[in-house]
Amino acid sequence: MRNLQPILRDHGSVSRRRFLKVTGGAVAGSSLLTMLEARQAPAQLRGTTLRILTWSHFIPAYDVWFDKFSAEWGEKNGVKVRVDHIPHLEIPARMAAEFAAGAGHDIILNNSTILARLYYKTLLDLTDVYDGLGKKYGGWIPAAKSPIEVEGRIYGIPMYYILLPMLWRKDLFEANGLKPPDTWELARVAARTLKPKGSPTGIAFSHCNDANLNWRSLMFSFGATETDASGDHPTIDSKEMREALRFAKALFDEGMTPEVFSWDDASDNRFLASGIASWIHDAISAYRTTESTNPPVFKNTFVGMEPAGPGGKRVSVSAPIVFLAWKFGKNPQATKEYLTHLVDNDKEGMIQSTGYNMPFLNDSAKKPMPIIGADPKLQVLQDFPKIVAFFGYPGPYTPQIQEVALQFVLPDIFTRVARGTSVDDAVKWGSASTAGSSPSTSAHDGTPGG
Amino acid sequence: MTVLPVGDGAEPTTRAATQPAARGRSTRAWWHTNTGRRLTFGYLLLAPAALYVLLLVGIPFLFSLYLALSDASVGDQVSSFVGLGNFRAAWEMDTFRDALRNSIVFLVVAAIFKSVLGTSLAFLLLQNFKGKKLVRALVVIPFTLPITVSVLSWKWMYDSQFSVINWFLHKAGLIGGYGSESWPIWLGQPHLALLACIGVNVWRSFPFSAIVLLAGFTSVPTEVLDAARVDGCSFFQRFRHIVAPMIFPILIIGFLFDTVFTLSDLSVVYVLTQGGPGSATMILPMLAYQIGIQAGSLGRGSAIALMLVPLLFPALFLMLRNLKRRD
Amino acid sequence: MRTAAAPRTHRQKEIRRHLLLYAGMTPFLFIAVFPIYWMLITAFKQEPDLYRMGNIPFWFNLPPTLKNFETLFYQTNYGYWIVNTLTISAWVALITLVTAVPAGYALARLKLPGAENIGIAIFMTYLVPGIILFLPLSRVVASLGLQDSWWALVVVYPTFTIPFCTWLMMGFFKTVPMEMEEAARVDGCGQLSALVRVVLPVSLPGVLTSVIFAFTLSMQDFLYGLAFVAPGDQKPVPVGVPTELIRGDVFFWGSIMAAALLVGLPVAILYNFFLDRFIQGITGGAGK
Repeated sequence: MRNLQPILRDHGSVSRRRFLKVTGGAVAGSSLLTMLEARQAPAQLRGTTLRILTWSHFIPAYDVWFDKFSAEWGEKNGVKVRVDHIPHLEIPARMAAEFAAGAGHDIILNNSTILARLYYKTLLDLTDVYDGLGKKYGGWIPAAKSPIEVEGRIYGIPMYYILLPMLWRKDLFEANGLKPPDTWELARVAARTLKPKGSPTGIAFSHCNDANLNWRSLMFSFGATETDASGDHPTIDSKEMREALRFAKALFDEGMTPEVFSWDDASDNRFLASGIASWIHDAISAYRTTESTNPPVFKNTFVGMEPAGPGGKRVSVSAPIVFLAWKFGKNPQATKEYLTHLVDNDKEGMIQSTGYNMPFLNDSAKKPMPIIGADPKLQVLQDFPKIVAFFGYPGPYTPQIQEVALQFVLPDIFTRVARGTSVDDAVKWGSASTAGSSPSTSAHDGTPGG
Repeated sequence: MTVLPVGDGAEPTTRAATQPAARGRSTRAWWHTNTGRRLTFGYLLLAPAALYVLLLVGIPFLFSLYLALSDASVGDQVSSFVGLGNFRAAWEMDTFRDALRNSIVFLVVAAIFKSVLGTSLAFLLLQNFKGKKLVRALVVIPFTLPITVSVLSWKWMYDSQFSVINWFLHKAGLIGGYGSESWPIWLGQPHLALLACIGVNVWRSFPFSAIVLLAGFTSVPTEVLDAARVDGCSFFQRFRHIVAPMIFPILIIGFLFDTVFTLSDLSVVYVLTQGGPGSATMILPMLAYQIGIQAGSLGRGSAIALMLVPLLFPALFLMLRNLKRRD
Repeated sequence: MRTAAAPRTHRQKEIRRHLLLYAGMTPFLFIAVFPIYWMLITAFKQEPDLYRMGNIPFWFNLPPTLKNFETLFYQTNYGYWIVNTLTISAWVALITLVTAVPAGYALARLKLPGAENIGIAIFMTYLVPGIILFLPLSRVVASLGLQDSWWALVVVYPTFTIPFCTWLMMGFFKTVPMEMEEAARVDGCGQLSALVRVVLPVSLPGVLTSVIFAFTLSMQDFLYGLAFVAPGDQKPVPVGVPTELIRGDVFFWGSIMAAALLVGLPVAILYNFFLDRFIQGITGGAGK
């Protein structure tokens, strides 16, 4: 690589620009230069700075658009905007560090792990922005409040959420006379039929986010809950939970292979893309991965509605993406205006994410929705906003719920059952584990095993 | 002027020798005496390292001790004292006991493999043979790759569907094909998962052990070895009686360093299994991170992280003192 | 000394020795190198090539491609990461050298009261896990104004390189015969010049070892880099790769491998250079 010589210190502004031109490397051409200029002249009086921390969206093009969009807003308003990307799983650590330092970004994105309740004393109160946007766009979907409301005030702006629908192989189903997997029972029958033919299914029984989301969808659809509506009392021990566990065990035995114990968030994507899976329950990132790596399989992969439980109930547990803002941020005014602007362009964001981002606002959820409204295979996603839920359903997203989620207690309960622990013992362990994470109690009588 | 001896045992005489002189010349400033000069020089040399470490680590350590004894959370780091409550709560967690057990198993098994492999490799690296330069370069690569990327590669190598290792074993006829009973799910079967993590740690670190050993070998004066050879000592005798005692300090340092590093290493388990399946690969740093940072319960996380310190501290202290005494 | 009388036996011995050595080295080479080879191939593979069950992992099923390297350089900040990594490591090695070598000498040679305990305290800092340390260090970094700059890492990394290197140097200095130092002193050297002119050159292997360890250890961190450096162009490779080449649940394997190799191989070559120098020192006299 030529011209590395000038790049030795942080302060070589000219050489940095030359470096960019020479290698042609820039995540988003002009916006990167804008970012650099922000770094070079912090003492500039014109305008202020806005620093945003967001995740590395699995669609790289979305990040490119996001960076450009933010920079353009900045230019128009005389604000120097800088956008940083880190994986969503690492954001809690980064937030902890920024809090400890009392300094950092102005706006931080949370994905799945919404830390509003943990940090609300140090977060900007965004109730006015939230209410304003709700009024403007037909109201927020019912599930929107739970991650961000603390004592009646709102501490974050929900941006979008990510669905995990059914992704199933129509060709395999039809060849074997199977009905589409509209209920969990039908899905199980399909797996049972197709596994001996070399096409099992798989849902991760492991410590990954997909496991947290998928097993919750299953158990909520069966009528089980993790807490009551107040969020204070874990309710793992229930008839419905036992039924859900029995179902999961049967599904594993009949339709899966033991590899699911080692799966991470990406394993089911690969499973589908390799052509083996008969169906998976996963975000459409798997759908898109298959599109680019295995076109023949992709042609036959269809997106299905969240399966119904025995009582006909459908609950799709999704990953919410919410923007929080620090109170110690130096630019609350710009923060609020930027967030408003971002939500105003909700639809554009949905398009740029190729249908991955699902809207929190009722207006944006009106049919036809961008991208997914036009794609015949993705149309069914438009029906999901009615059944979407997040961790802690039907209660709020409390720190206790978060701890249960981060320790993967629920997937562990299912794992134990799949591995042979009796349903009763697993439920007992699960109850003890979820009770033990309340800050007031430390009593614990977990049953070893599994 | 007498030359100041710097070895052992000379101290009392030196002091005795200089004291009368110092007293006799009471107008001479303390730091101009020989002892004074030596001490000043010594502390000056020592100061940067000591200050750097004790300030940047010592004070944060006290802070973490404070955290472990409080009910702090990430969002509220000033909180109330709860005494040993966090430690007690941690001890009562199933997962914690698993983590403790796994950490110790991990350490011991990994240490055995690393010593054996490291020693053998060190001896081989000493030898003279054609192509030795290339071989030496290749064998250290596991250690020189940044840890995050090498562990990521192993993640893919252990994949339940696409594992290279399985492909290889299958082609060699040692295991069945994909989907069969004998197809190992490296990160999915509890004991296998822990072994898989240990394997990555060993793979990464055994070149380090070998290099430390090599470094130790350099400190053995060649004349001594030659003299021994001339005297007719066999290779093993030379090793046991001459080389081993001399390299012992360096070996112990390497071993201790590797021990604490392995015990506090988060990366391997974090990337490979996140502590799963169940709690088969849960180790103390992973649990502490999950509870302390990701779930935000700093007090309990700190307690878990510091749980081994009371055990390790005396052990390390004794070993290090012993080391110093040895000369 | 070889006698002219039995050259053939000697050659046979040499061949046998070589064969034994090669046989001994092979398992190590295999264990160490096989993943590297596989990484190398994967770096040049097209993505669909990776996701077919029947494909051979060790060779190309679809034609090789440079696309992963392209992605690496044009769509991520990899160029910056490499430069950052090398610069950070160099600085950390320098700081470690300047602090650990004198400290090691002071602890080894200069009978300082309380030195023993100071030395042990320095080592004990390893017991404090990074997952706890990074929070208060975050405050330190912010108050130094270094948050989100790679300089933060230059300040923080020596906390884990200095203790080890200090003790390592201590070990090395202890093996320097005292007579050498005393001789130098008799010749009129002050303490400082005795150190510099006599002791250091003799313990050069130890110094080199410390330098390369410090250098390598700086590339083994993830948590501090993540906590203190968020901007893409400030990250070092160990932080940049997992944060920008793993997006959501999609892993860009080819580029990840490419990234690993491009930084790992040069360092391995550097290592080899240093290794040779001090193996030279041993085998020069003590060899067969």
